[in-house]
Amino acid sequence: MADNGLYILLCSGEHEKIQMAAMMASVAAVSERPVQVFVSMNAIFAFDKGAAAEKRYHGGAFSKLLCSQHAPDAMTLFHQGKELGDLKMWACSMALDIQGWELGRLDEGLFEGALGLTKFLSDAENGQFVTL
Amino acid sequence: MSEKTTIDARGAFCPGPLMELIAALKNLQIGDEVDILSTDKGSVTDIPEWCKKVKHDFLGITEHKGYWSVLVRKAK
Repeated sequence: MADNGLYILLCSGEHEKIQMAAMMASVAAVSERPVQVFVSMNAIFAFDKGAAAEKRYHGGAFSKLLCSQHAPDAMTLFHQGKELGDLKMWACSMALDIQGWELGRLDEGLFEGALGLTKFLSDAENGQFVTL
Repeated sequence: MSEKTTIDARGAFCPGPLMELIAALKNLQIGDEVDILSTDKGSVTDIPEWCKKVKHDFLGITEHKGYWSVLVRKAK
């Protein structure tokens, strides 16, 4: 049976894709859709706690524009989505293991915990699934 | 007695004005109104659509020179 949940698999470390994930997650969450974001691969580096924006984000021409025009920061948008809506974020347990990171290494207050891909896919089975 | 609050989100890019509106509504009473000022063109379609979806009252848009004011009433 379909649900109205939005499930975002965020793998890319590109600033533009992380920004779009943050925009989609936050807007959907405040529009009364439950949202879950699973962060893996290169995307995990952007969530390194305390990292400066220039270290967090790597991208192309649009990334430079996002920075120079002071677009809302992706991390701020994720936090707003959590504060104002039903947004849950999960760190890929494999990505943490390979990097040798503990959950505490990631941006504070964003993640519910570490999760395996199998569980995320199972939860997402009946919702809308987006990969970035 | 309902209140009217003005939020100046001019200069903020999508989805900044919507987020500011939602944050403001959270702290208001039912019947209170928010007039959100935005230079973001997307606000003209996004805020009415959001109101429709989550069932707040969209009261109208006024176009000014270089920005819009979007009026919303907290309905729940």
